[in-house]
Amino acid sequence: MSTNSPPQNQGAESAQPAANVDQQGATEEPVKQSSTPSVFVNSEPMREEQVQNAVKFLSHPRVKGSPVMYRRSFLEKKGLTKEEIDEAFRRVPDSAPTVQTGGVTQDGQVKSSSNIQQQAQPQALQPGLPASTGVNTSSATLSRSRFHWSHALIAIGVLAASGAGTAIVVKNSILPRLKSWIRKVVVEDDEELKKVDRKPTLVEEAAQAAKSAAAAAADVAKASQDMLISKEEERKHFVEVVSLLDKQVQEMKSMTNALRRMEGQDLRITQTNTKQLIVNGNGKADYDLHSVRSTSPPVSYEPPGSLHPKSYMEIMNMVQRGEKPSNTRPWEVGQVQNSSTQVLHAQGSGEYLNSKVQDSTQSNGDGDDALPWWQKKNARIREIDNENEYNGNGSTYGAASYQPPPQRTWVPPQPPPIAMAEAAEAIRRPKAAAQKDQTSDTQSVGNSSDVSDEATRIPRRSESEVVVEGGSISSIPSSVEIQEDQELKQE
Amino acid sequence: MPVFKTPFNGYSVKFSPFYEDRLAVATSQNFGILGNGRLHVLSLSPNPSQPFTEIAAYDTADGIYDVSWSESHDSLLVAAVADGSVKLYDTALPPTSNPIRSLREHTREVHSADYNPLRRDSFLTSSWDDTVKLWTLDRPSSIRTFKEHSYCVYSAVWNPRHADVFASASGDCTLRVWDVREPSSTMVFPPHEFEVLTCDWNKYDDCIIATASVDKSIKVWDVRSFRVPIAVMNGHGYAVRKVRFSPHVRNLLVSCSYDMTVCVWDFMVEDALVSRYDHHTEFAVGVDMSVLVEGLMASTGWDELVYVWQHGTDPRAL
Repeated sequence: MSTNSPPQNQGAESAQPAANVDQQGATEEPVKQSSTPSVFVNSEPMREEQVQNAVKFLSHPRVKGSPVMYRRSFLEKKGLTKEEIDEAFRRVPDSAPTVQTGGVTQDGQVKSSSNIQQQAQPQALQPGLPASTGVNTSSATLSRSRFHWSHALIAIGVLAASGAGTAIVVKNSILPRLKSWIRKVVVEDDEELKKVDRKPTLVEEAAQAAKSAAAAAADVAKASQDMLISKEEERKHFVEVVSLLDKQVQEMKSMTNALRRMEGQDLRITQTNTKQLIVNGNGKADYDLHSVRSTSPPVSYEPPGSLHPKSYMEIMNMVQRGEKPSNTRPWEVGQVQNSSTQVLHAQGSGEYLNSKVQDSTQSNGDGDDALPWWQKKNARIREIDNENEYNGNGSTYGAASYQPPPQRTWVPPQPPPIAMAEAAEAIRRPKAAAQKDQTSDTQSVGNSSDVSDEATRIPRRSESEVVVEGGSISSIPSSVEIQEDQELKQE
Repeated sequence: MPVFKTPFNGYSVKFSPFYEDRLAVATSQNFGILGNGRLHVLSLSPNPSQPFTEIAAYDTADGIYDVSWSESHDSLLVAAVADGSVKLYDTALPPTSNPIRSLREHTREVHSADYNPLRRDSFLTSSWDDTVKLWTLDRPSSIRTFKEHSYCVYSAVWNPRHADVFASASGDCTLRVWDVREPSSTMVFPPHEFEVLTCDWNKYDDCIIATASVDKSIKVWDVRSFRVPIAVMNGHGYAVRKVRFSPHVRNLLVSCSYDMTVCVWDFMVEDALVSRYDHHTEFAVGVDMSVLVEGLMASTGWDELVYVWQHGTDPRAL
């Protein structure tokens, strides 16, 4: 009650809320004194009409069965102030105490209803309250009723009726079923007797059939033995033929290996002084083609009319045109194309990205760093294309460095100029010699050793380029250019 | 304008009162229904290619519904966690020693946390167990429990001018104004016919409070005459989840709603809607205006994105 009186006093005093606000503005904190009342209290007088409505509400029998918390909550929702609610509670004599900060009081009968209410929405409180209390009162009356004789009579009648019903059912349906079942059993016995007579004749027939089957099996065994013998003889002949063929194959293999080595060396020397792009593409492609060639010999001997291995330039042309060189597997051709296009991607987009970082025109979208680099890059390229279309700013993004969208087929570069003419001629000579005599000469061996250093260098370099490209693409794009410079220096 | 993608669904975003480029984001997995939560502390950088740097990220066993920066220490945070605990984090400490404290007193999800901007030593948490609790940093248990609401308390906000006064908005459709020196609430009135999801005090006028509700409206009240609202702002298509008054402009307030928009209103004007941003593709549930940078606002939503933009600009602009 003590909490109620100060607000009421202040309600009487603060007839001019404006004056209070001025005082509040002056003081930092409102002090609980009669001179500077808190603004954050209800300063209105009590509305008698509201209090009377609340009293009527609280006096309702259904409301009396509900927890006090919900009665207060309902009145608060209706807009009554604390004072009005307290006054109403005071006026209704047997309602629970006024201000509560503790738990909620519950009646024993309506525990279930309160649980249901706690789970329901507060808007449903008001309709829920009368409904739940109504249900509970009816159940209460049921439980209170006494055991009358009428209940006993009803029970007896129900039992008698059920007994009569079962008797009728048994008579009509179950007994006929029993009779028919018995008849069936009798009929089956008669049939079984007949079956027993037929059995001995079946046994005799089965024995005869078994004998004839055994004879047939013996004949089959003899025939299969003859077959085996003949097969072994054939196998022996076959093995002899195969060994002869193997010898021939080995001779041919050695011949073709020597031939190719000569041709390969010739091509590699001519590529030493080329641009990076071409070296990358060629190095890789050459590596792939070389591997192609080394694996193809066993394949080439199967078809009788295999073509002579083509030169490097012829094969690249074929690839560009979209044809498959006869000695390559489909996936290797794809590798050649993809490797060259990927290289174009990396370098073109790497240079583009450098200019992009300086432009603060685009955010990282949703900043998802889990996106693999190539998706990010393609997105940027696509977006740049869009921006080019929409804004017409193609020139500002360093279009000079940005290459046009990569072509699907790799255009082979011009054949590089021959740096060392003497070496080229030297190589040509052993090739001519090899064509004359198919056995390898000391000359060719010596020249091949000179060339082999460069030959080994190029595949190694291409391998390192593969690694480098993989590493550079995942790191900062500017490093691609740095590594390209290093490779240029290596040469 | 920078966008940050959080791995979980965003729930709340708050600017730091100490650093103008720092903000905290509270997120929960699976829309906060079930799963873990994560508290991100982000720093805005002027570098356009990497607009956000994540200073820290703290994982919790249950979703985080709200976060509040401490007014006393620049590295302290209070997180309201869905398992009923209140966790304190210190970004200056290594992640292994975080959270520095876990306060378990609420019996249901803690929905909001608010730090006292004047006293700077205490904070409030409100929960779905119908209570509001008052805590200080040094004590392991709550100082006071305010239990008068009859349904979930969605928000408890300190008055920016009166250090002991706060307001609480609840699902029982009432707003209560409390004074911590009083044993019970000093004022209670029903601002809406439906659940009141949020409330916020005006930073310039100490008696003006805004409430927003499931009935899609935002109402601005003067607590001295709380029978009739000062302004009613309709315009949202669905329930309004959060309301914040601007710290820089007296009449401006920002709201975010389940209709995926963030709206800025001027409640003294007849046509109150100043601007509407529909950058989110899911419920927009968190919004905040920076105290240190005028016009800077941040929002987050269940689409796992955090946007930070200047009022008047397009949040999705580059």
